[in-house]
Amino acid sequence: MANLLIVDDEADVREFAANFFRKRKINVTTAPSGEESLNMLDKVKPDLILLDIKMDGIDGIETLKRLKEKNKDLKVIMVTGRKPDDQESFEKCRQFGALDYIHKPLELEELERIVLKNLK
Amino acid sequence: MALDYKKELEGAAKTMILVHEADLLIKMIVRTIVQKVKVSHAGILLHYGDKDSYVLTVSRGPKGIKIPEGFARMDSDNPLIRFFNEHLDKKLFNDGALSYKQAKRCLRKNIGAKEKSLLKGALYQLEIFDAILCVPSYFQNKLLGLLLLGKKNSGKDFKPDEIDFFAALASDVAMAIRNAELFKDLQLELEKKHRLFLHTTIALAAAIDAKDHYTHGHTSRVTTLSLEIAKRLAAEKKEGFDEKFLEHLHIAGLLHDIGKIGIPESILNKNGPLDDKEAARIKEHPIIGATILNPIKELEDAILGVKYHHEKFDGSGYPEGLKGRNIPLIASIISVADTFDAMTTDRPYRRGLSKDEAMAEINRVSGKQLDPEIVSAFSDLYKEGLI
Repeated sequence: MANLLIVDDEADVREFAANFFRKRKINVTTAPSGEESLNMLDKVKPDLILLDIKMDGIDGIETLKRLKEKNKDLKVIMVTGRKPDDQESFEKCRQFGALDYIHKPLELEELERIVLKNLK
Repeated sequence: MALDYKKELEGAAKTMILVHEADLLIKMIVRTIVQKVKVSHAGILLHYGDKDSYVLTVSRGPKGIKIPEGFARMDSDNPLIRFFNEHLDKKLFNDGALSYKQAKRCLRKNIGAKEKSLLKGALYQLEIFDAILCVPSYFQNKLLGLLLLGKKNSGKDFKPDEIDFFAALASDVAMAIRNAELFKDLQLELEKKHRLFLHTTIALAAAIDAKDHYTHGHTSRVTTLSLEIAKRLAAEKKEGFDEKFLEHLHIAGLLHDIGKIGIPESILNKNGPLDDKEAARIKEHPIIGATILNPIKELEDAILGVKYHHEKFDGSGYPEGLKGRNIPLIASIISVADTFDAMTTDRPYRRGLSKDEAMAEINRVSGKQLDPEIVSAFSDLYKEGLI
């Protein structure tokens, strides 16, 4: 079973997204902060990471940078907050090697498609 | 006990009349559905015109999923949105809703390929949201929102009267949202008109300042001081003036000298003391001001401020020689602010007093020319360096 790691500081989001993907036969682990995702990286060995940008502590972009420093082959999809079109953060995510960049509110079918595509 | 849907609807309708905030209302309705009809979860997707998409605004459920607010959306090309926008619910089921079971049965029937594909897409959306029923809500044929419902806790199917209940609620929701929008528009329109009115008043006040060269900025200073005094009075008395009083005070402050429009500039700007005749002309300005504003019935209280701002506490003022608390409060407040500003301003024939000197003079005439209670509030403001 594929391993998906969801990093988001909102408990509701973690719970909903985890249930959503578990139903689709994906093994899901969640982390409430960037720091925790870095700590559990070696243990979880995710095939794909969904990473929220706006988080307390180290934000998503910094987390992305550090994750990639640990393992440059990690596949990471960035999830932005409710105000999209922040060109600067988009550019940074690309520069640090994020696979994709999606914003809330999400079309759930699109989220599913992107995740499944990248887990293959 | 079976739920009395008619009664619940009436209750919901009453709530809608009372609550003008659409967001709050929708939350209440979703909560009502989850509690009364006992479903695993319920959510509402609302149309956002600027993005032409439907965003999941509320989602509640003690047992089922709770989708975080603002997490999920459906664009206008989403099959579930298209399903209702293209009225497939009516064509396929002769019904204003999409029920998962019914739709599954329908898929086995001989329907057109296009319809089949759209219905399949719509059903998949229901699966994504763990919903078994979707009820649209329209306003004037426009899809405003979708109500999504999870399974009943009893595991039974929704009955026709329950679906009717949801449909009625959904259409009420649409109406309430529309009303809330109209209400907001109306409020914005009112605010706009109000600003227009205030700016017109300010322009009028500027006309007086322009005429009376030596009192430049006087009206705006008196207005500011008057409002400060009123706020302090309210704080000391521990009972606030209502907003209307403050607004009238604001207007009266701006327009207190409007009557000077009727006084010749040669008198207003005279470089020396006024003779008796000239002084008598100047004393006409409160009455002229009140007469100018009199046709504006809405300004009744503000006019009192304009008319009586030269009355004195001991009855020695003009135009009517009113005494003590017979002088309207609005006028007594302006009077203190006006006196202070007049004393500290340079005149053609004399230099203005320093603020300390003026404050001492104000204290000296307290209870004679000026209302002592207002002077006391003013003096407190002065001591705190707020003047």
